[in-house]
Amino acid sequence: MDIAAIEGNLNSIGYGISVIGAGIGVGIVFGLGMQAIARQPEARGPLQTNIFLGFALIEALAILGFVLAFAI
Amino acid sequence: MSADARILAAEPGCHLFPAQGEAGCGFEAPSIGMFFPEPWLGGIPGSDGIDLYLVLLVVALGASLLLWSWFSKKLSLVPGRRQGVGEMFVLFIRDQITRPTMGAKGDKFIPLMTAIFTLIVFMNISGLIPGMLPVNSDLSFPAMFALFIFVLTLVVGMRQQGGWGYIRNQIFPPGMPKPIYVLVTPIETLSVFIIRPVTHALRLFATMFAGSLLLAVFAYGGWYMLSIGAEPALAAVSVLFSGAAVIGYILFFVFEILIMLVQAFIFTLLASLYLNQSLEAAH
Repeated sequence: MDIAAIEGNLNSIGYGISVIGAGIGVGIVFGLGMQAIARQPEARGPLQTNIFLGFALIEALAILGFVLAFAI
Repeated sequence: MSADARILAAEPGCHLFPAQGEAGCGFEAPSIGMFFPEPWLGGIPGSDGIDLYLVLLVVALGASLLLWSWFSKKLSLVPGRRQGVGEMFVLFIRDQITRPTMGAKGDKFIPLMTAIFTLIVFMNISGLIPGMLPVNSDLSFPAMFALFIFVLTLVVGMRQQGGWGYIRNQIFPPGMPKPIYVLVTPIETLSVFIIRPVTHALRLFATMFAGSLLLAVFAYGGWYMLSIGAEPALAAVSVLFSGAAVIGYILFFVFEILIMLVQAFIFTLLASLYLNQSLEAAH
């Protein structure tokens, strides 16, 4: 059993790298969203909508990375 | 490797510390092949045949139909306990999903969103049964959901804003200086008509796919490390190892339940967000 040898696909490392940016972005979106709701609780409705819209746009990048990890 | 890889006894005999007098063998992690179960009835042109996914889909569909027909049996103005729980779910959909995104004019979509949410929850939950897969870990099912939502947004948008009016509002967002459109229009076109529906489907698919692969790795690794047949000292160590894997499995199992519910919620929320952009022009 050769433990030292690394086998596997380089694509998964690429996916890991591509997720860093999306992770930071999602953190910023939700963090600032929480802050906005804390400052202006009555604006929760539209803020929540926009938080999820931004989250969807940013997570699209991570998902593209996931797809490319399998496609290429 | 088939879907039975999730059943722990599927590949016996291969352990971390080989039994006395036996040659060792390497760990074979569960692979993508796990998501392509052998069809029981193949040979149907244009399809994969009747396999595990189809059966689970029918079960999920039946479960959600049963649940809601049970909730809505013998409706009365003053709700009883059973009807009260059903109304609680509908109110949850209304107050958390459609009202914040679409406002009061989106109330006619509450039944649709409730149906989509319930069906997706049941289709995800099926992956929690060992040996089964979440139905949404096959791309075709979330893709059909997303395609349906995409077509619905087109139809609703063209009805509300007129055929060209809807497309114009989407790709030329009003209220911008003219030269900006050179930059904005290609991005918006790509975003609205390609990236949005594709990621809508892939988000649900990717989380279910990765989640059940993770659970399979823990279950499989726990079984691999458990080598009772080895020397007593090594066997004791292996029991510790696989105990750690079992604890990890249980933790991620609970985490996975949460993920399944949250993903169903996000899918429905995004669906109603996209519908909202058809209901009213951007401003």
